[in-house]
Amino acid sequence: MKKRGRGMACMWYPIGFTVAANPSAATVKVNTDGTATLLTGTVETGQGALTVLGQIAAEALGIATDDVHVVSADTDTTPMDTGAIASRTTYVTGNAVIKAAEQAREILFEAAAPMLNVKPEQLEARDRKIQVLGFPQQYKTIGEVAHHSEIVIGRPAIGSGSYNPPTVEMDPETGQGKPFSTYVYATQIADVEVDDETGEVEVLRIVAAHDCGTPINPMLVEGQIQGGISMGVGFALQEEILFKDGKQVNPNLTNYIMPTSLDMPELEVEMVDNYDPTGPFGAKGAGEPTAVPTAAAIMNAIYDAVGVRITSLPATSEKVLSAILEQKAA
Amino acid sequence: MIVKLKVNGEIRSADVSPETTLLKLLREHLNLTGAKLGCDVGDCGTCTVIVDGKSVNSCLMLAGRASGREVTTIEGLASSEQLHPLQETFEELGALQCGFCGPGMIISAKALLDKNPEPTVFEVRDALSGNLCRCTGYTKIIEAVLDAGRIMSTAEAKS
Repeated sequence: MKKRGRGMACMWYPIGFTVAANPSAATVKVNTDGTATLLTGTVETGQGALTVLGQIAAEALGIATDDVHVVSADTDTTPMDTGAIASRTTYVTGNAVIKAAEQAREILFEAAAPMLNVKPEQLEARDRKIQVLGFPQQYKTIGEVAHHSEIVIGRPAIGSGSYNPPTVEMDPETGQGKPFSTYVYATQIADVEVDDETGEVEVLRIVAAHDCGTPINPMLVEGQIQGGISMGVGFALQEEILFKDGKQVNPNLTNYIMPTSLDMPELEVEMVDNYDPTGPFGAKGAGEPTAVPTAAAIMNAIYDAVGVRITSLPATSEKVLSAILEQKAA
Repeated sequence: MIVKLKVNGEIRSADVSPETTLLKLLREHLNLTGAKLGCDVGDCGTCTVIVDGKSVNSCLMLAGRASGREVTTIEGLASSEQLHPLQETFEELGALQCGFCGPGMIISAKALLDKNPEPTVFEVRDALSGNLCRCTGYTKIIEAVLDAGRIMSTAEAKS
């Protein structure tokens, strides 16, 4: 008989690693046509990091994302970045991009101030313009200012910045410290159906609520969460590297089984409104934590459905069935 | 052996050894590198192309078997003026992340929509079940296929 159950799991996850230094650097130059070029050492792996970093630079400079040309991942030319790891790119590299963009913007403000007969601190960068705060009709375009700064003043609008998350070393006596700069939180709820005659588990629906600060690009964050859940579903029910005499016996996708489009449950993703004052425009991170609570939620749902605790992953049909039979025998 | 076939509407031919797969013919002899070489044993689906209206794993089909047939690859979908509705909706919804499964995913979806422009969610899931994706959780891909189906059937109804 098929039995339904619901399970929940919560998690927290640190953004960026610590113990060792964890820096990112970036360079932003504003071009005389009003566009900008961002140099970053980080790598785009499909998560949309370069889009997000371009958005961050654009926001800081008051221009459009399409105006930012991102050059990345070339050790010959781009500034150092610790890497596309530890769910750190939006947070750590994003903070470096803001610093670099702000430095370039400061040069633009200093160039524009005498052009507009105000002080640099009375200016803002918005809508591709450098304009007077409170008097947006008094402006020069970013391109004009960048050109003036380069050709007349002789000070090209280029900024560079780096960010290394501040941490406090753990006290060996008390165990106290601040090992990570910030944390993200999530809860996922899984609805499953377990066949108590075969042990087969089907995940019907997963609802995921994640706090990743203020998402810079909600569509990309949603994609990260959906992808993380699919990895979590595989981790919970299917995926296992099997060894025999030191050799992997399932090195192909024929026998290393991962979720297909048919295995994916219905997903509902919720981004919890939050703002982290230490993150770029309030953002934290989204990558790895998306996969963290899924398997635990599914295991709790299995317990809710058939009353057995599965304590090793994946919860294959064989494993679930033998737990059910054991429970019946006891 | 000489293999002559129609690829994306054009007659193409190549001199290949008998064990050459359709995928190798496309990628190495015809320079159509859109279909990807993933697992090379028919598990992952990133080499998917359409042969006479059916989606096939081109890594499992010998080039000789494709002789005289009509093959559509991802390169055959967009014109220089316009993307295929599937390409548009995949882009619009952010349906791909690393993109390695993309060409096969879109081709499998096209093979479905050509026959069944208004599929159910299950029919879409079923049609894509031979195309593995490690990044996206398939969710946005399925939405993009449903959206493209709606766009295609509206366009059909208008013409």
